[in-house]
Amino acid sequence: MTRHLKNLRAAFGQVFAHPSYIALAGALAILAFLLAVWFPNLGLIGEIFSGSNAPLSAKLGIVLSLLGGIVTNFSLLSAGYTIAISALFGVTVAMIAYLLKQRRVAAAGQNIAIGSGAVVSGVLGIGCAACGTLILGAVLPSLGAAGALAALPLNGQEFGILSVALLLVSLLLISRSIAESNACPISRDAIGRHGTVD
Amino acid sequence: MNTERKFKHMSIVGLGRILMAGLALFVSAAYAQTTDRNSADAALVERVKDAVIKELRESGAIDREVDAGIGRYVERQRAEAAQRERRETDARAATFRPVAKGRDHIRGNPGAPVTLVEYSDFECPFCKSFHLTVKKVVDESKGQVKWVYRHFPLDEIHPVKARREAAASECAAELGGNDAFWKFADRFFELTPSNNKTDIDTVLPQIAREIGLDAAKFASCLASGRHDRRVEEDLQNAYATGGRGTPWSIIVSKSGKKYPLSGAQPYAAVKQLLDLALQDK
Repeated sequence: MTRHLKNLRAAFGQVFAHPSYIALAGALAILAFLLAVWFPNLGLIGEIFSGSNAPLSAKLGIVLSLLGGIVTNFSLLSAGYTIAISALFGVTVAMIAYLLKQRRVAAAGQNIAIGSGAVVSGVLGIGCAACGTLILGAVLPSLGAAGALAALPLNGQEFGILSVALLLVSLLLISRSIAESNACPISRDAIGRHGTVD
Repeated sequence: MNTERKFKHMSIVGLGRILMAGLALFVSAAYAQTTDRNSADAALVERVKDAVIKELRESGAIDREVDAGIGRYVERQRAEAAQRERRETDARAATFRPVAKGRDHIRGNPGAPVTLVEYSDFECPFCKSFHLTVKKVVDESKGQVKWVYRHFPLDEIHPVKARREAAASECAAELGGNDAFWKFADRFFELTPSNNKTDIDTVLPQIAREIGLDAAKFASCLASGRHDRRVEEDLQNAYATGGRGTPWSIIVSKSGKKYPLSGAQPYAAVKQLLDLALQDK
């Protein structure tokens, strides 16, 4: 556990010493958060901008006020994991970008796979906590599993929690890839054979 | 299995006979062409035609082909009819049911230019908070906005209770009219904890008593299940209009333009959206 935290600190130190990666992580986190909060009303937003003759300021006012939905339309738990997913998503993608820039594609690939799973799981968990997750609520009945959500103790919010866990795992693995890759480990035998190591 | 094999055998024999007759006629025709080309052409064509038709008739190939053709035609017609019916059903389902004073529960000025139609679940905590938001907006609108309540009980997460409470609210409307419906809804959301934790056996009669309904008639109405169909119709209309969770609302401007609003959005968003709908020409 201490090793993971050490890796995490070292990786953060390396990646976020560059302001461009801080900007990338911040922008992605904000984008993910906006998408999560606006997701239930993307149709409305489209309708407002394409079909209404109201002034642009009125349209923008509505879109911005919909962000208040994080308080009124999310439970404490779902608001918590939505914010956590957004932040972790931004940080993870920025670190993957750093790995790719260092041309460590194999390590990045593994993390992209885990990160993608986390994002899919997070999207499944989006929605009104007590009144049906938007995607699962629509998909499960068509799969003949309408009662499946009721069987889950948190009515589908489990996917949001799973998403946070997967993103954390991804972040720890990527931190290890970054922190422990500055030197190739040499075994004691090799040192014994060759004497000293310069 | 045997019949099928016999049928195939007969078809091959029949086809062979047709080909042989055609070949013989072709040879004799070729021969005739070399001897007396001018006079024989018309007669030869007639002979070939008669012989082929005779063979086809005798072998039953024409009948089989005609039968198969009719079968294919009927199948095609059936598929097209099914597709047409599916399209019509989809179109019907996608249609938002217009607000009707005789059927819908309306709060505020019935002649208001903007309508907020809410599809709601009595056990949903977000519907509970959104109820207060919409009430405030409608009260402040000075007759510019009316509120229509329709049922959207989510059986998957609020089994039994949400539907029963929706039916109870209809019983309140049946016994006490539109006002009684809204008194029932207001009081219900005030009293109950949501998330399927309501003690319906205690709360429903209590609210009926408090809003001045005949307790016996209310109980009898609820037991009869006569409003279950209406609740189901509302539910189907909620899904058909795109509702996937509660509260689900559709704001209709004077010109008939519709704005779908998902979830318990904050007062500021609802107010601004209704103002935008009021500005629509």
